[in-house]
Amino acid sequence: MNNEFNKGRRKFIKSAFTVASALAIAKVAPTWATPQGRKFKDQVLTKDEIDLTIAKSPLLVGNKVGTPITINGQMPGPLIRLKEGQRAKLNVTNRLSEDTSIHWHGIILPENMDGVPGVSFEGIKPGRTFKYRYDVEQNGTYWYHSHSGLQEQLGHLGPLIIDPKDGDIGADREHTIILSDWTFEDPNEVFRNLKVAEGYYNYQKRTIFETFEDVRQHGLEKTWKQREMWGQMRMSPRDIADVTGSTYTYLMNGRDSAMNWSALFKPGEKVRLRIINGSAMSYFDVRIPGLEMTVVAADGQPVKPVSIDEFRIGVAETYDVIVQPKHNKAYTIFAESFDRSGYVRGTLTPEIGLEAEVPELRAVPERGMAAMGMGAMAMSGNKEEKGMMNMSGTDGHMNHEMMHKKELPVENIKIEHSEGGHGAAAAMIAMNPTSRLHEPGIGLDNVDHRVLVYSDLIGAQEWPDKREPERQIELHLTGNMERYMWSFDGKNYTEVDGPVQFRHGERLRLVMVNDTMMDHPIHLHGMWMELENGQYPRPRKHTISLKPSEKVSLLISADAPGSWAFHCHLLYHMKAGMFRVVNVA
Amino acid sequence: MYAKSLLFTTALLPAVAMAGHAEEGWPEPVKEYYTGQVLFDRLELTRTDEEENVAVWDMMAWYGGDYHRFVFKSEGENIQDDGEPTDLERAELLYGYLMSPFWSFQAGVGTRGSLSSNASMENYAVVSFMGLAPYWFEMDNSLMVNEEGDVQFVSETEYEWQLTQTSYLQPRIEFTANLTDSDKYERQSGLSNLRVGLRYRHEISREFAPYIGVYWNGALGNTADEMKRMGEDTTETGVVLGARVWF
Repeated sequence: MNNEFNKGRRKFIKSAFTVASALAIAKVAPTWATPQGRKFKDQVLTKDEIDLTIAKSPLLVGNKVGTPITINGQMPGPLIRLKEGQRAKLNVTNRLSEDTSIHWHGIILPENMDGVPGVSFEGIKPGRTFKYRYDVEQNGTYWYHSHSGLQEQLGHLGPLIIDPKDGDIGADREHTIILSDWTFEDPNEVFRNLKVAEGYYNYQKRTIFETFEDVRQHGLEKTWKQREMWGQMRMSPRDIADVTGSTYTYLMNGRDSAMNWSALFKPGEKVRLRIINGSAMSYFDVRIPGLEMTVVAADGQPVKPVSIDEFRIGVAETYDVIVQPKHNKAYTIFAESFDRSGYVRGTLTPEIGLEAEVPELRAVPERGMAAMGMGAMAMSGNKEEKGMMNMSGTDGHMNHEMMHKKELPVENIKIEHSEGGHGAAAAMIAMNPTSRLHEPGIGLDNVDHRVLVYSDLIGAQEWPDKREPERQIELHLTGNMERYMWSFDGKNYTEVDGPVQFRHGERLRLVMVNDTMMDHPIHLHGMWMELENGQYPRPRKHTISLKPSEKVSLLISADAPGSWAFHCHLLYHMKAGMFRVVNVA
Repeated sequence: MYAKSLLFTTALLPAVAMAGHAEEGWPEPVKEYYTGQVLFDRLELTRTDEEENVAVWDMMAWYGGDYHRFVFKSEGENIQDDGEPTDLERAELLYGYLMSPFWSFQAGVGTRGSLSSNASMENYAVVSFMGLAPYWFEMDNSLMVNEEGDVQFVSETEYEWQLTQTSYLQPRIEFTANLTDSDKYERQSGLSNLRVGLRYRHEISREFAPYIGVYWNGALGNTADEMKRMGEDTTETGVVLGARVWF
């Protein structure tokens, strides 16, 4: 009797739990991220006016309840679908106890609609509604996120898709994938940990036993030579990501690997995947084992198709790829953090419930000589050869090899450096910065398949401004890991006297030099940057990732009057002051 | 004078206003960041070869920004059950400035002595160079001058061998040199003391890491001679059990 009762009770508890977790899952799962996705010629169901409410609410993240910032009750926020040519009407209501904002990442709009508190407006006070109004004059895959404090780390972000005028998505079906990194720690605590304890989240440091092993394999002299430079510079070749899988749960459309976000396809269909890296700090390497991907857009802007097997997506970048799965089976969408400290997977499947093999995390990569600005010396080494080996194969890569022989403008730009020129804020200067656009990046230079490189990207069309640059601006990316200082030209935002001045209407060449050991995704608001990668038409980017000791050049038409943010899109680097205001007047 | 200060003010104001194109009442897009930390590098119980139990602390606390920081350092020991008061080896309040990527210069005042009501403390001025030397040697070098004009130099160096991702073998070396004789504090000029230690530390978390270790402590030069004359032991060895803790 008693037993019976208990059983019944247990059953009740169990079913109550199931219902509760199902509810929680239903709540966490953004309604837009349905397995069906969107099919070509589906009606675009967007209201003329969209209301967004920002609040903090408990949600199941992975297997634990966290308190993210939600937008209309979900994290990531709703997929906003606009149409090229329409007027965007977006009303954002703040139900938080602090100021908030939304920045429309990659959208060309008037300065007062850009959503950066202190630069474009004053922010949205608690309880208030801000009405964003702008004309949508572009199409493609973009996203939106908070530009207030560290709110982005709490999930204040979502996808923003703009349909072209003719509605043709260039595929039979499409899915949007937004990648993010979630921590149950307070983001302010994360920042403080980075500030006071160098290497706090790095659990992949080189151990003494690895050194012994290297000595055994390569001899003492060679091992010492390898270690010497790093020791002198007081840096670690395993310092790849500041914040890692030790605290992060990586999410795909708000779900972790166990929840396995799934998307449907019919064999033979062309499926467009719109992939957005909405992470605060994490670069991802994305691949779908068994499927070739054809890149058709970068940062929302169309590029000539490039067929690849894997691509690295920097923080805040977007890539559109088309896949055409022919078999009636599931495929894993694998997004691996670039320091290999974690991953998130989802599934592309002909029917719900199937899943495919999940690849193992690859070995932790190490930075080489090129990271220290000794690229020219490393050129003759095997690293470069491996890089070139990846290039053979498709047409895009043939182009690339030919292109590589052509000199890039940036290769003729001499970078003047004085020892200690950036002060205590810069722990290193790139001794010999080089163009690294043809390199896939750390950990990808000796994989046995095709990896997208920046020099593969060719704009699908000519951009309106074909002028040569009249003026050149040079900026150096600087940092000091010991105190977690990040800056431009050795000065953080609070130390500069004024904005970077662009003259309205001028054509500019922006030269950037990465004087740090980290990769940085640099984002310019309000204007496109055309990447001088030797291709024509040049690809246009809103966010450009620089490898350690890399120099790049970009062309900018200063056609957007007003003040615009320009910053590193690694959230905690921005918070540390790697930020400038660009004033176009 | 008035003109000068006016000039200064006007030179300063536009700079502040222009940095973010901030209109009146708008927040700064990036604010200055200040934080602090309290770090007990050593918080340990020592068992000496004299069969004494000694409680030892060696800590530092700081607050400030990237360049400018207030720093408090304190180090001392208490021999358990000997009825003697705690020996404060240093308590210093310093201002620190980051002068190069890995080194900060610190200057301030300190006091040390026996923490009993009737003892008089030794007060001194101190400058330190603290930072990370090539090959990751963590160093703190201090020069102290007391009210009598006695000059002393203390250097501490630590290194870490990473055994696993959460455990370390840490050698430590500390030496003291007196640049002058001091009658009042019974110090003899020359290298006076050397302390070498080795700890094995395991992190429960980044913030809390217990350790065990050994050390050797020896008097040197004139100091050792003086101690021998007094019939004292010039060397000491011991084992330690403690934790590295920060918050």
